[in-house]
Amino acid sequence: MKVVVTGIGIVSAIGNNVAANETQLKLQKSGIDKAKNFKSRYTNSLNFGEVRLSDSELKKILHITKKGYCRTALLATMAFKEAINHSKLTKSEIESYRTGFISSSTVGGMCNTDELYADANMKGEPSEFIKTYGGGEHTLQLIKDFNIKGFTSTINTACSSSANAIMLGCRLIKAGRLDRVIVGGSDSLSKFSVNGFNSLMILSKEPCKPFDENRDGLTLGEGSGYLVLERSDIAKNKKPLAEVIGYGNSNDAFHPSATSNEAFGPTLAMQRAIESTGIKKLNIDYINAHGTGTPNNDITELFAFNKIFSKIPPYNSTKSYTGHTLAAAGAIESIFSILSMKNNELYPSLNCLNPITKFNNPPIKKKTNITIDTVMSNSFGFGGNCTSIIFSKIK
Amino acid sequence: MFITDLSAISPQLTYNENFLLGDKKSYESTVFNAIEPDYTELIPRNLLRRMGKAVRIGIGTGTPLINKNSELDGIIIGTANGGLEDCIRFLNQIIEYNEGTLTPTNFVQSTPNAIAGQLALIGKNRGYNITYTNGGTSFENAILDGILLFNEGNNKKLLIGGIEEISEYNYNIDSLSNKFKKETIKDSKLLESNTPGTICGEGAALFVVENESNNYYAQIKDVAQITYPSIEDLRECLTEMLERNNLKSTDIDSIMLGYNGDINHNHWYEYIENKIFKKSNSFTFKNLIGDYRTCSAFATWLSSHIINGEKKILKHISRRINNKNTPKNILIYNHFDTVRHGFILLSK
Repeated sequence: MKVVVTGIGIVSAIGNNVAANETQLKLQKSGIDKAKNFKSRYTNSLNFGEVRLSDSELKKILHITKKGYCRTALLATMAFKEAINHSKLTKSEIESYRTGFISSSTVGGMCNTDELYADANMKGEPSEFIKTYGGGEHTLQLIKDFNIKGFTSTINTACSSSANAIMLGCRLIKAGRLDRVIVGGSDSLSKFSVNGFNSLMILSKEPCKPFDENRDGLTLGEGSGYLVLERSDIAKNKKPLAEVIGYGNSNDAFHPSATSNEAFGPTLAMQRAIESTGIKKLNIDYINAHGTGTPNNDITELFAFNKIFSKIPPYNSTKSYTGHTLAAAGAIESIFSILSMKNNELYPSLNCLNPITKFNNPPIKKKTNITIDTVMSNSFGFGGNCTSIIFSKIK
Repeated sequence: MFITDLSAISPQLTYNENFLLGDKKSYESTVFNAIEPDYTELIPRNLLRRMGKAVRIGIGTGTPLINKNSELDGIIIGTANGGLEDCIRFLNQIIEYNEGTLTPTNFVQSTPNAIAGQLALIGKNRGYNITYTNGGTSFENAILDGILLFNEGNNKKLLIGGIEEISEYNYNIDSLSNKFKKETIKDSKLLESNTPGTICGEGAALFVVENESNNYYAQIKDVAQITYPSIEDLRECLTEMLERNNLKSTDIDSIMLGYNGDINHNHWYEYIENKIFKKSNSFTFKNLIGDYRTCSAFATWLSSHIINGEKKILKHISRRINNKNTPKNILIYNHFDTVRHGFILLSK
């Protein structure tokens, strides 16, 4: 049985829909810049991958008039709607018991830091966001708005969250529990995440420089990505974008916020993903790397590539376009991988002027057209959570 | 899947299992706090000092299971909020120090996946690892993932569990949305209180589950869940699960219900108890531990011991007894705040 991708939706720093994101990738234009909507002590000193729509603009576009939608939920609704429309799902398909929904977020409703501070410390009347702080609350808002009756879940494995949502979705279809499932994640810029990553001293002052010898940290982004996965036989009248052919999950079991020098977790996640395809001598044409731009991630990820591949496939970090979108990264970057495959086009990794010297293997330097049949997307997170997903063209 | 080992930290003496011998704690309070063991033998002091409660009770419950069961293939945790105390402590620092220089400890400890991550670290476990943060069905998500992993064939032995802490902050937040009773209440009077709201509880219940075993406490046969259902939706969800397991409602000799003393929540449980399983024994568990989003993990711990023949606890939890034999099947039905509903089917 095959699991195919029949719909995609994105909102990120490089665009409010898939077409806009695709255009920016082709133009090789990053969305990382000074923030306009996000208010923090660091607004002027740091760069961000900010979605260029304010909360009120998002609400207007989405025709949301009710109160209590945090930015995480608004971004999720944008991408979710695009994905289900793209897949042309009918109302009855969305509401079927055989349709599931798996979302993910790290910050969830805690993006409303000031309201949460007041509510948690019982300062004044409850805010409109009182019921929205939990990690699974944005999922509930979508369940309610779209009347989803089937299996639902929310995952938080930090920066690999939505990659695990894709993996779980495939497994549920293959197990016969679901016919289709909408999978992905959403995270918005927040004082909580910015100060958290800042306290760990892994935020770059400059736009992030993944795989550069002089990289000095990540740039936080925000956004949302969802994919509609369907069992291939029920999607036979559609034109699926890709097949999910493999996935692997491992814990690095080394440190709460750093990857081991031996890159145990990343290596195992990739190896398990490759093995799970059941294809002998699988050829991977392109890797969308985790590539955060931190000193620790990029060297360990390259170390893992070197261990697994006799010749490392072309790779990039599209976080140089969007910033690190945390829980949404796995879904957004899976969609970018699918776009690369669809267009047979490799997009350059930005800001890598002096590639890591230890490995003579720089990321993709310029836009190149090659045949891309199989792609791998990596997502590694705090807590040691590592996941890799492999997609192929529809054969 | 077969439960071959289990451990719980809860408002009862479950950790040393004195509770099973009949030692029941009584409460008259607005919260039922977990009784934590002395961790000094278990967790190095410098690590312990940094741990928030959710991480501490998770590691405290999980570590002995990891030590006794070396060949674990993976770790699956359900926790709606993870270390919320640490989370809001970090948040308070953000606001009170105007985003100044902050220490990362609270931030790192507050991420919900910190528990599964640290358990992996302790056990040097590089297997499958995931954390579900799906509110009231986070533990149900974890069970389903385990069932899938066993059916896929690559895993034989997993650690799964559900963990939640009470922090001042989540208590405040849930209080502001009217989830808890305003008055203090005796645990023995909770279920018949006839007022809105429940009592806040907390705990960790972790399980070693295997895909094959001859020596086990109970089997988890299946799990089902639904969100924002109507009564008809709920019945359909349940019927589908029973049919999938070739069971009729009369095969379920016992049900474990999530009655929590909230007058606005009862009708869901009454429907299951009186309309679908009229002849079954019915048990309750929130009079022991209060209510929290992953309390079905405690209900699973309790039901496993009942199926395994423990009798001394029955007097504290029996609502309706039609059959005095040791239960062969227990169906756990629980919902949190009437939104997310879950069924867990256990058998001998």
